[in-house]
Amino acid sequence: MQTHELLPFRKNLSEQGVILCYNGLMTEEILSGIGATIKHKMATGHTDKQVARGLFSLFVEQVQNVIRYSVEKETAPHGNGTEEVTLRYGLLVVGMESDRYFVACGNMVDKQDVAKLHGNLTHIKSLDAEGLKALFRSTLKGETPSGSLGAGVGFIDIARRATRGFEFDFADVDEAHSYFSIKAYI
Amino acid sequence: MATLQIDGTDRTPQVCFDFDNNRFSLVGESYPEDVAEFYGDLLSQLTAHFDTLRGEALQFDFNLVYFNSSTAKVVMRLFEALEEAAQQENRVVVNWHHEEDDDNMREMGEEFSEDLHKAQFNLLVKEG
Repeated sequence: MQTHELLPFRKNLSEQGVILCYNGLMTEEILSGIGATIKHKMATGHTDKQVARGLFSLFVEQVQNVIRYSVEKETAPHGNGTEEVTLRYGLLVVGMESDRYFVACGNMVDKQDVAKLHGNLTHIKSLDAEGLKALFRSTLKGETPSGSLGAGVGFIDIARRATRGFEFDFADVDEAHSYFSIKAYI
Repeated sequence: MATLQIDGTDRTPQVCFDFDNNRFSLVGESYPEDVAEFYGDLLSQLTAHFDTLRGEALQFDFNLVYFNSSTAKVVMRLFEALEEAAQQENRVVVNWHHEEDDDNMREMGEEFSEDLHKAQFNLLVKEG
């Protein structure tokens, strides 16, 4: 990409309120680095502390979700080469639309998992604060859902922190894969 | 048993488990890369120690700035272990520290405390 391509790209991002945008390998180092940057950005602005904390939380949950579950991945040797590390791809956008911040992430998922993920998220989206609290508790107490590497509560936490709501979507990529995206507002 | 002390990092809390005096604390941030790797051993040491206690006074201070949802599962396990210790004739005090304007952190403490019956729970606003 040359300047004549980058400038319109930049203009397009800025028109959509994008503060920060990252696409590519989503690693723990990226999480740490961008996380620190988001904290700096929030501290230097006039952002309400509650909003700043919530935004950071939305960022961590979404990025860890990509790091754990994106199926677009590659393995690379780690350390002395006897271990392998899995690197996963994803997309992160942090921005502002009118008076609300948003955090959005996108990653590839297996098409066979779409129905289940869609069902889970539809259910979470339908719940009010009390319902989310109850589901959060029961999920923390219960067995971790199969196929889940974390506590399985990430999406519930996102829904609780997203005081201005959240959206999610899927798009077909090829026969085996769909692209999943989630956008949470605060 | 000695004191177990781990320095805090950007993503993991400072851990201080003083097994001799039964004072325990987690201070700082908690969104580790691998929650099981960071907390697994700590949890087993703690529960093994609690199992030996009868008629003791113990205090656990949660002084966290931020924790992610995977850590929330660990916090719930800790609360369960603390309540069990209280059921075994120990005097258990759980202190949950939060910044005055951090409603979310206060509410999380309140929610976790719903599992405490014999253990005493205190919400404490951080000074300054």
